[in-house]
Amino acid sequence: MGNVYANSYLIVFVFLCIGVLLPVGALTLGKLLRPHVPSEAKQTTYESGNNPFHDSRVQFQVRYYMFALLFVIFDVETVFLYPWAVAYNKLGLFALIEMLIFVLMLVLGLIYAWKKKVLQWM
Amino acid sequence: MSMHTLLQYKWSMMTPEFIVLITALILSLADLWMPNDKNRRPLAWIAVVGVVIALIATAGLIPAKPVSILYDTFRIDSFSKAFKLLVLAGGALCLLLALDYRPKEGLSHRGEFYYLLLCALLGAMIMASSGDLITLFVGLELLSVSSYILAGIRKTSAQSNESALKYVISGGIATAITLFGMSYIFGLTGTTNLKEMAFEVQKLADSNYQYLLALAFLLLLVGLSFKISSVPFHMWAPDVYQGAPTPVTAFLSVVSKTAGFVILLRLFITIFAAAPAHGKDPSSLLLSMQNYIAVLAGLTMIIGNTVALRQRSMKRLFAYSSIAHAGYLLVGFAAMSWVMIDSIWFYLLAYVLMNVGAFAIIQRLSDEADSDDMIHFAGLYQRNPLLAVSMGIFLLSLAGIPGTAGFIGKLNIFLGALMTEPGHYMLAAVMIATTVVSYVYYFGVFVQIFFRPADEAASVKLPVGLTVTVVLCAFGTLLFGIFPSLAYQVLAQFEHFGDFLQ
Amino acid sequence: MSSVSLSVYLVLALILFCIGLYGALTKRNTVIVLICIELMLNAVNINLVAFAKYGAHPGITGQIFALFTITVAAAEAAVGLAALMALYRNRKTVHIDEIDSLKH
Repeated sequence: MGNVYANSYLIVFVFLCIGVLLPVGALTLGKLLRPHVPSEAKQTTYESGNNPFHDSRVQFQVRYYMFALLFVIFDVETVFLYPWAVAYNKLGLFALIEMLIFVLMLVLGLIYAWKKKVLQWM
Repeated sequence: MSMHTLLQYKWSMMTPEFIVLITALILSLADLWMPNDKNRRPLAWIAVVGVVIALIATAGLIPAKPVSILYDTFRIDSFSKAFKLLVLAGGALCLLLALDYRPKEGLSHRGEFYYLLLCALLGAMIMASSGDLITLFVGLELLSVSSYILAGIRKTSAQSNESALKYVISGGIATAITLFGMSYIFGLTGTTNLKEMAFEVQKLADSNYQYLLALAFLLLLVGLSFKISSVPFHMWAPDVYQGAPTPVTAFLSVVSKTAGFVILLRLFITIFAAAPAHGKDPSSLLLSMQNYIAVLAGLTMIIGNTVALRQRSMKRLFAYSSIAHAGYLLVGFAAMSWVMIDSIWFYLLAYVLMNVGAFAIIQRLSDEADSDDMIHFAGLYQRNPLLAVSMGIFLLSLAGIPGTAGFIGKLNIFLGALMTEPGHYMLAAVMIATTVVSYVYYFGVFVQIFFRPADEAASVKLPVGLTVTVVLCAFGTLLFGIFPSLAYQVLAQFEHFGDFLQ
Repeated sequence: MSSVSLSVYLVLALILFCIGLYGALTKRNTVIVLICIELMLNAVNINLVAFAKYGAHPGITGQIFALFTITVAAAEAAVGLAALMALYRNRKTVHIDEIDSLKH
């Protein structure tokens, strides 16, 4: 049994090596073969034929972060819902009520965010 | 779990927690539905009343037998009751400071300010009485996360923002280190219940396990040193203390530190005192690690007291002084005498009184000038003699001059360090030496207050919340300094915390 | 079928933790520092889950602990990012070495 697992790891390892070596080999070979004559025009950033006119990094609106923060919090709370859902049949009515209280707390948080005008796209 | 088992628990044991929780909920809802232009300051009075009721409820629980409810995750023993009293008293005093907090640009989130303080307080209370790693951790984080926000509550002040960010980053690193240590202890014992852990840990005699356990111990010590602001995790304190609003600074230096010692004592005494040590000599892992704690205590005292010498900013000065006080408290822990918890409790009581009192006066003088430079203390005696005398009392107590609570606290810890066998003479000597060094900077402030001419002649008026705080703190500092037996009588009810491990 | 032993997970967690600690202490960009802290917390989660599955006392407690760690880590990260945003509005920088207005 252990042997089979070791063998499959061996295959993974071989593929990993090929995956790393192939691009490295191809790029090194290309570097050796191609001529190396840099000039000003060649080194400018290529942007589909247009002249690049400002920084390639674009700053996102800070409002996205607000939504992202809210999402992170509410998304992670579902972590507690999964174990409950899996064991729902065993836990019964009482856990359901507990979970409702938990969700109610989350809703309170949402109302808080709403009243504080976080959800509006001003 | 069914309804029946749930109702069997003695929920009355959680009364103080419920009171604080409900007050926080009421405040948050009230704040949400209050019109925007309405003044939020009355909310602070509700918060103060809630905390005082919780304090009375805790005092009412003192005669109760030790119990643990909710599958041993929440326990009420004399340790938790004693430290909950301290935390609640400190929290109430900080709320009084927050009531009269008036930064220059105004405080747009006054409502949040109060109920976040309550949430942080709730976290500290849960820490004081949890019997399980998970609840301990959740309490710790409730305290930490609320404090992060509190430090940055002045949203438009760059200093406050910076203080919050530094606090989050160093706090996050410390939390991760603490948790990493916790994960090893959990792995070795297979349980998160502290009592079962203490039982399981006794079986770990193998040297491999010993090694892992010692690693976990060191990780926990480093991680928790953040909360008590001792070496090696003390560097956040000056920056955060200086940038945070003054009531929050007081809260961090008093309640947060008390909570830090609570978790330190709870974890280390329950788990590591039971763990066998590898060497032949010491009887437990905790005792074998005694030297490391002693070195950290010494370093904390030396660094805190010497760097404080060159501070001009009052809040930075008090930050280093608070590091130094963490060092004194660690001496009490490192000595591990049988009066350890008693002496730490008394010291923290004195520390709550003298430090919050001092911060009340700092707040008054730095709000006015929007700077906390020592120069604003110049000539305080001419501007308000009573205030100057109270500040004098707090400074004398912080320095540990006889007649004040700070002296009795230091004396207890000092005697504790000498009464063990063998005595910790080195540590006691460092403590004396650094105390003498600390006189220099405390008396520097003293000189400013009493012997320097005032810049402005206008007398200093104190708003009501600050007046109550200063009067209570000054009274308490003198009372416990002259009649320490009053505090010992309270301590006597806890019977040297004998039910700690039951 | 535990062909991968406990120690492998522990070593992985240890490496992850050290990378996180190194990054948190050395990086200039605050966002990267926050991510490094998450890395450290995830190392803790690996430890907890590995101990709960392959440890000397297998059980479910470690997994529950990991759930709590995940939630708290998210709350901490959210507060950290919020603090960073507030600071960015006032100071227009996310670089830690430029955030130095608080000095004696």
